[in-house]
Amino acid sequence: MAQGFLALILHSHLPYVRHPEHEYSLEEKWLFEGLTECYIPLLQTMEAMRRDKIDFRLTFSLSPTLLSMLEDPFLQERYSRYLSRLQELARLEEERTAGDPEFHPLARMYRERFDSVARYYHERCGRRLLNAYRSFMEDGYIEIITCASTHGYLPLLEPQLESVYAQLANAVQYHMELFGRRPRGIWLPECAYSYGIDELLSELGVHYFITATHGVLYAAPRPKYGVYSPILAPSGVAVFGRDPETSKQVWSSREGYPGDYDYREFYRDIGYDLPMEYIGPYLHPPGLRSDTGIKYYRISGTSLEHKKPYQPERAREKAAIHAGNFMFNREQQIKYLRELMGRPPIIVSPYDAELFGHWWFEGPQWLDFLCRKIACDQDCFKMITPAEYLDLGYPLQVSQPNASSWGDKGYHEFWLNGSNDWLYRHLHRAAEEMIALATENPDAEGLLEKALAQAARELLLAQSSDWAFIMTSGTMDEYARGRAYSHLARFFNLSRQIRDGSIDEKWLKQLQETDNLFANLDYRLYQSMESTVPRSVEMAAR
Amino acid sequence: MLSAQQEALNRGLVLPRYYGEDRLVLLPRDPYCIFAYWEITPATRERLRERWGEEAWNQAFPQLRVVKQNPAERVEESFEVTIQAEAENWYLTNLQPDCYYHLELGWRHPAAGFQPVLRSNTVRTPRDGISDLIDEEWQLPDWKSRKLYRRISLFHLSSPELFRRPKSKF
Repeated sequence: MAQGFLALILHSHLPYVRHPEHEYSLEEKWLFEGLTECYIPLLQTMEAMRRDKIDFRLTFSLSPTLLSMLEDPFLQERYSRYLSRLQELARLEEERTAGDPEFHPLARMYRERFDSVARYYHERCGRRLLNAYRSFMEDGYIEIITCASTHGYLPLLEPQLESVYAQLANAVQYHMELFGRRPRGIWLPECAYSYGIDELLSELGVHYFITATHGVLYAAPRPKYGVYSPILAPSGVAVFGRDPETSKQVWSSREGYPGDYDYREFYRDIGYDLPMEYIGPYLHPPGLRSDTGIKYYRISGTSLEHKKPYQPERAREKAAIHAGNFMFNREQQIKYLRELMGRPPIIVSPYDAELFGHWWFEGPQWLDFLCRKIACDQDCFKMITPAEYLDLGYPLQVSQPNASSWGDKGYHEFWLNGSNDWLYRHLHRAAEEMIALATENPDAEGLLEKALAQAARELLLAQSSDWAFIMTSGTMDEYARGRAYSHLARFFNLSRQIRDGSIDEKWLKQLQETDNLFANLDYRLYQSMESTVPRSVEMAAR
Repeated sequence: MLSAQQEALNRGLVLPRYYGEDRLVLLPRDPYCIFAYWEITPATRERLRERWGEEAWNQAFPQLRVVKQNPAERVEESFEVTIQAEAENWYLTNLQPDCYYHLELGWRHPAAGFQPVLRSNTVRTPRDGISDLIDEEWQLPDWKSRKLYRRISLFHLSSPELFRRPKSKF
């Protein structure tokens, strides 16, 4: 009998970045890097564990914008081309470094890696990673949960509750389209929770969500078991709080595993190190210095210029040691908590999936060691998904979770400050207009329905929390401002055309082709809550 | 940068700076701070000016009244903050956690005092600490509870550290 449980949750999200109008797009490269370095290596790690019959459990939150990009034929084709170029570069690197005892084996490692990623993408998945995720879900290894449709920062959209509802309901609907089942849980973007959101989730038949530590810790009444058991919001939705101990071990810039000197250095990339006449054609876009993903140095604890060459075996040993350390610490933590609580604790450890493989190159390897060790080397605790934990039937304390986020300072400031606060008056006004349009046109058909659905798409895209995030962090903020501005301007133009009865069919078609996600989006999700009967679970299932 | 084709799709569309509607909207930022933005149409200002007369209007200045309510919507406290005439938004700080607030935007009339013109939505600030409310059916013995909570706070990352999660691909 396990004394407790560990739920590892990997949140996978990128904003919708699809730019057919550019030959090369820096933003699409976020997706391609994510695929090559994180999403595919993590799937390959799970393939190996499944092959070896390792009984692991992971939870993936896959954001609807990321899923839309994974399913988009245009981006699939672009990624395929990107990957071939990368394979070509890796082969060139193998030739260039021939005879060098330190760098040649590394060049070969990258070539083999990219070849294997390409085989997995094309041959195993037929370019549709969704199939791979689905097969792990069907085999019971992973639970897939959803996220708000475009990762909208929900507490700041709350003045128009209908637009929060639409962010959630469309996500549930889209998840059901892709996976054939209702998501039992949801990842609230940036773990941002505010009072009332759980009631909408309850209406949509979602069983749980995850908050920052203080989302549960500061709940009222005081949670008997701290963050080591979910609480039940008064609406009946369960709330899991993030465990701070496991966050620290992985995230902390000072003490976290990824900063170990033996691990690969992220900031030394041949895209910056090698002469332009050689590397230029392989950069994205060509001739502009940027990362290629081929990095030959380890962190080494020195300045960037004096890094030592990467030694994969050393890094691999370190990943195994760190996995052992993580497991040992969980055993100690769980025994201690089990004794105090008198029932099995659950440790909830959410991470951004992009940490694993992209920033922390050895992350997937660490995860592989960790899952294998947990399955084979101990019997103190088990891996579990949040839904499995709920099914165990432990009584849950009713308590009101605290409004919070996992961002800087723990609340909403990163998404609401002098750099981005101008956005909200426009987002709110657009949401009001969308609600009015949907309420005034309950049975639109044909062109009008298309225009209303596209208006809803533009509003959703404008609401991505990523734009406000980028404006605060200050890099590429011109792009973020441009995206938010464009989607809002398109929305208001559509709304004007709808009201004037002068829908420009050609322009609408272009918009549909450009901002083309959520083909089955139902604009009626925006109907005013006052004018409609209470929304039921069936509404999202429609 | 958006491409020429993207720009063409926008056809020089411009997001309006004003929507021609009186409104005052409140958002919670953290346990101690709320953010308000507003729009007051020229027509509304003009109406006030006509009603009060030129002299009083010229002496009047805009203020935000911060109203703290209990959950039963009873006003517990209110105070006014003078704002710059040209301001269109404001961060109100030094508030209290876990309280309900709404705002009134108005002008201080030289004789009649604060005259509210717009009222905002109500927001609730988040808690900033562990609740004193205990459900007796859900209670560990005191010494156990202290140990459990100490374990959590021991490892709770300081905020700047917590956020150094690398997401700077953006």
